[in-house]
Amino acid sequence: MEFSTPQELKPISINRVNEYDVKINWKNGMEVIYPARRLRMECPCAVCVDELTGVRRLQENMVAEDVHPAGIDPVGHYAIQIHFSDGHNTGIYTWEKLVDLGKKLTGNT
Amino acid sequence: MNDSQINQEQILDALRVVIDPDLHRDIVALGFVKELKVRNNRVSFHLELTTPACPVKDELREQAEDAVRKLPGIEAVEVTLSAQVRSHGPTGQNIIPGIKNVIPVGSGKGGVGKSTVSANLAVALAETGASVGLMDADVYGPSIPTILGINDQPRSGGKGMLPVEAHGVKVISAGFFVKPDQAVVWRGPMLAKMIEQFLGQVEWGELDYLVVDLPPGTGDVQLTLCQRIPLTGALIVTTPQPVAVNIAEKAIIMFNQLKCPLLGVVENMSYWESRTTGEREFIFGSGGADRIAEKWEVPVLGKIPLATTVRESSDSGTPIVLDEAGSPAAVAFVDTAKSLAAQISIRNIRAESEGLVSINF
Repeated sequence: MEFSTPQELKPISINRVNEYDVKINWKNGMEVIYPARRLRMECPCAVCVDELTGVRRLQENMVAEDVHPAGIDPVGHYAIQIHFSDGHNTGIYTWEKLVDLGKKLTGNT
Repeated sequence: MNDSQINQEQILDALRVVIDPDLHRDIVALGFVKELKVRNNRVSFHLELTTPACPVKDELREQAEDAVRKLPGIEAVEVTLSAQVRSHGPTGQNIIPGIKNVIPVGSGKGGVGKSTVSANLAVALAETGASVGLMDADVYGPSIPTILGINDQPRSGGKGMLPVEAHGVKVISAGFFVKPDQAVVWRGPMLAKMIEQFLGQVEWGELDYLVVDLPPGTGDVQLTLCQRIPLTGALIVTTPQPVAVNIAEKAIIMFNQLKCPLLGVVENMSYWESRTTGEREFIFGSGGADRIAEKWEVPVLGKIPLATTVRESSDSGTPIVLDEAGSPAAVAFVDTAKSLAAQISIRNIRAESEGLVSINF
């Protein structure tokens, strides 16, 4: 995936693909499907990631198998807030973070 | 002659030569030409600009008039001006739907005159006919009530609090809720709550511009504001000397991180001009704003001279743009307000063509 300019870092649309997963269409034409549970596991908030060390506190066995986004709100110009089915909603997913995750998911670095 | 009656298409074609110097597009493509009427070779139309504070509105009117007059057989041209401020498209979660543009005014360092600049720009924008609000979010040292001479308290309206109107500007200030002999000693969540109330529970009504006077620095208030609402863009106030410029850059870095665009830099206390000789003395050095502008690729929107009258008018409650209209500092503020309005139009026109993120979830 090529994201050369900051403008291309913006999504055009964020949609449901099924009951669980999220599809983001990026400005540069790329389409990435984000599996629901993976998004929850990647939560960048201070509860899920140690603020000082950056070590992930959230473990696989702490998250239900069927966890999924129940709602998504925009945050300013730069991110989204995901309200998960387990009540967790403190993570702010910036476009950068979602692009990085998108690269991992599509095997493109 | 009567056979070759001019039609609307010909007139629109002729008007395409008139280019808005800020938006770099012709006034027909920008949709400025409204209510075009042609009767017996007499032409009248409306030019609907993107802001009543447009710095080039007279030039645009003249050029449009000339362009039409050049067509064969035209007997009279009548151009009227109006303005419809374009909205900064909200990305959905807009807790203040009537507000078209939110412009935070920040600085890294305190004491650079951020509140004086905010107040004068808000009043100057209102003077052009725009509807303007001013939110004084400087909880630690709210000075807007003093600068605008407000002694009233906000009253409660049907749905929330009504802002106090002063010099044509709707004002809400942290100072309304803290007694002069008290200090705000709050932790972050309290600050966030106040900002959310200022945004969500104040009956601002319809506003073209909401100017937000931020506290100095890069803390909770700035963070909450940037996270809660899509901002049009930030204005950075600095003074010329390196110590202020270096800290102003920290504010810029914060806005960049939060993806809040920068509209420009204002250099306050830029120079002192002798009334007798007109000689300029650069008390705090020079070139501070220019250095920021070059490094961060943002325009310098204005340089405000140091003047005793700026300080006096701020203390007396009538901002200098009204108190001494025509004085060098007042003119500098008015010009800065126009440049700011132009930058906002540029950004919104660009955003319109870029489109918004649509979230369906």
